[in-house]
Amino acid sequence: MVHDTPSVVDVESFGMNFGSKEVIKDLIFTVNKGEVFGFLGANGAGKTTTIRTLLGLYEPTRGKLLINGQRYSSDMSRVVGYLPEERGLYRNEPVIETMVYFAVLHGLDKNQARSRALSYLRRVGLTGKANERLVNLSGGQQQKIQLGVTILHEPELMVLDEPTEALDPVNRSLLMDIISERRSKGATVMLVTHRMEEVEQLCDRILLLKDGKAALYGTVGEVKDSFGSRVIALDYTGRLPGNDKLYKITKQLPHYAELHWREGISTDEVFGFLATDKAVHITSFEVRRPTLNDIFLELYKDQGAGDG
Amino acid sequence: MANVRNVISFEVLRNLRKKTFWFASIAPPILILAIIGITHASSRSANQASQQQAAAVTKDSKIAVLDETGVISKKTLIKEQLISEPTAQAGIAAVKNGSLSAFIYYPKNVTETGIQLYAQDRGISNPTPYNSLAAALLVDSAKARAVAAIRNSQIVQLLENEPTVTSTTYKNGSQTNDEADIIAPGIFLVAFLALVVLQAYLMITSTTEEKENRTAEMLLTSIKSRSLITGKILSLFILGLVQLLVIIVPLLIAYGLFRQHITLPGGVTLSRIPLDPKTIVFGALFFVGGAVVFTGFLVGFGSLFPSAQEAGRYLGLAIISAFLPIYAIGYILNSTHMLIVNLFTFFPLTAPTTLLIRNAIGTISVSEALVALAVVALSAVVAIMFAMKAFRYGAMEYGRRISVKELLH
Repeated sequence: MVHDTPSVVDVESFGMNFGSKEVIKDLIFTVNKGEVFGFLGANGAGKTTTIRTLLGLYEPTRGKLLINGQRYSSDMSRVVGYLPEERGLYRNEPVIETMVYFAVLHGLDKNQARSRALSYLRRVGLTGKANERLVNLSGGQQQKIQLGVTILHEPELMVLDEPTEALDPVNRSLLMDIISERRSKGATVMLVTHRMEEVEQLCDRILLLKDGKAALYGTVGEVKDSFGSRVIALDYTGRLPGNDKLYKITKQLPHYAELHWREGISTDEVFGFLATDKAVHITSFEVRRPTLNDIFLELYKDQGAGDG
Repeated sequence: MANVRNVISFEVLRNLRKKTFWFASIAPPILILAIIGITHASSRSANQASQQQAAAVTKDSKIAVLDETGVISKKTLIKEQLISEPTAQAGIAAVKNGSLSAFIYYPKNVTETGIQLYAQDRGISNPTPYNSLAAALLVDSAKARAVAAIRNSQIVQLLENEPTVTSTTYKNGSQTNDEADIIAPGIFLVAFLALVVLQAYLMITSTTEEKENRTAEMLLTSIKSRSLITGKILSLFILGLVQLLVIIVPLLIAYGLFRQHITLPGGVTLSRIPLDPKTIVFGALFFVGGAVVFTGFLVGFGSLFPSAQEAGRYLGLAIISAFLPIYAIGYILNSTHMLIVNLFTFFPLTAPTTLLIRNAIGTISVSEALVALAVVALSAVVAIMFAMKAFRYGAMEYGRRISVKELLH
């Protein structure tokens, strides 16, 4: 895949073993400057391991993980903002002190850090909580503070692992807006989420990780196209005939139905069959593109719910 | 370096803001002073009560004596209102039937068999008050007889009062004062042990908060673990000094106000405490080195645990290792070449206390001190590296204890 924009993240032939268990197998991908990159997969697929290795918390067994062409070191924390999956802040410290501390560690001076922290608190409606201890804030409020700590130094690359997890729809929308704002200012976002509607809304490209390997990788459109669709939505009159060899009727209302055609069968064959049946008259149809949610479910159907 | 400063500033200020920090700083010295005060007052009161009771009991008691040594004169017996018993059996029988409060029997060969006392049982809280009377009666009578037989007044005085000894000691041609010489370097020993007691919990739990709060991952991507751990160790050191100042400053003020009533060991005043530059420099270096060794090991050890509660269970071990040399003080004072003393001198966790004791009492040579200092410095580096590795590795292991074997793997 050729891109005009330079890459911010380059993962080359990355492999990771924990003991004798190989958790990541030859993973290759790039995250381009200014894009929102969805890094997806079921629990246990290897997303957090990849991110932790990218950010220097783990040593890779094989391959290279580079940010701006270099292995990550904490000196690069000025340009990277990381919201981990396992996250938390100093529970007994005042909100403003914690925000200033992390911003200063990310290279801001104290006055600048305080001013930006107050401005962020205003933005997310928590001005009155600046001097409250974090433990006195609700879970959602704490999550806003955590995102604030991640973006206060205005990083070029934001790595956000489940940033909207457990938020109510209003606050989720607020946080999505903030992420979009950062992106519109040129930041690159690497987003881990299980919410496929967020991916559809925000992401330019995605990588879907399964069993430590890239199962799907590309723009959202490319992934949908490559995954293909085998659903036809029909508006009809008359009697819709069954044909187990060609398709399965997955949904049927009096004048509406959804057909899932069999693997190896083309749409021409399905429509050819329906056209020859005088008992049914097709008034309109649509060959559906699958949603990312459909793709995710289809990809993981053999693993069931829970840990993948 | 800037981030080390940031960590120190954050850690020190947030601890100074905590009421628990000040409580933990002020409570132990107050508690110790209270215990000393109560013990002293209780012992004084018990002594007075015992003396008063003994005097009252002796005065109202009917006591009989059988002196086969012939040392105690009849005049003394009359003066002390004591009855003379003809036989030991009669005296014992009189105590048994309650007609005598006590019977004191001095056998002929008293120096071999000792004095025998028979008395009414007065319960555990009222021990018999006659023991000292029995001993004093014989000793005073013996002295009186000796004094009467000797005409030399100086010998008489020597028998009546133990002479005082004034000693003057020299080292390398200069006059020394053993007890006073201990004071200045001894302060480092006291300060080190106080630091361990006051700071051990903060040390061992200093990184567990980051693990419990899930802050570690965000921190480790923002700052080098080396800067974080160095900052934490230095901030613990600063907080320890603050705690020591909280104890020392009131003591100095009290000393300033009441110095005329206080005598330091060796009979010196505060302004005349002997200050030997060599022992003070070594004392300071052993103190700082020891503090870093302890802090490093405890911070690292704490990093292996997922919570403060779990790490805190091992606090006792850390404190014991610092105090272990105190239990072996007899060896350290008298047998510096014994294996145990050498082990304590060079084993990282016992070295600081042992070295500070030996430095205070002057049983460590300069060459030995330099070698020990190198060992302490090396231990400090190892301790800091252990702390960094333990935090870096342990930080990702939420809810699980890391074994040292895993760490070294």
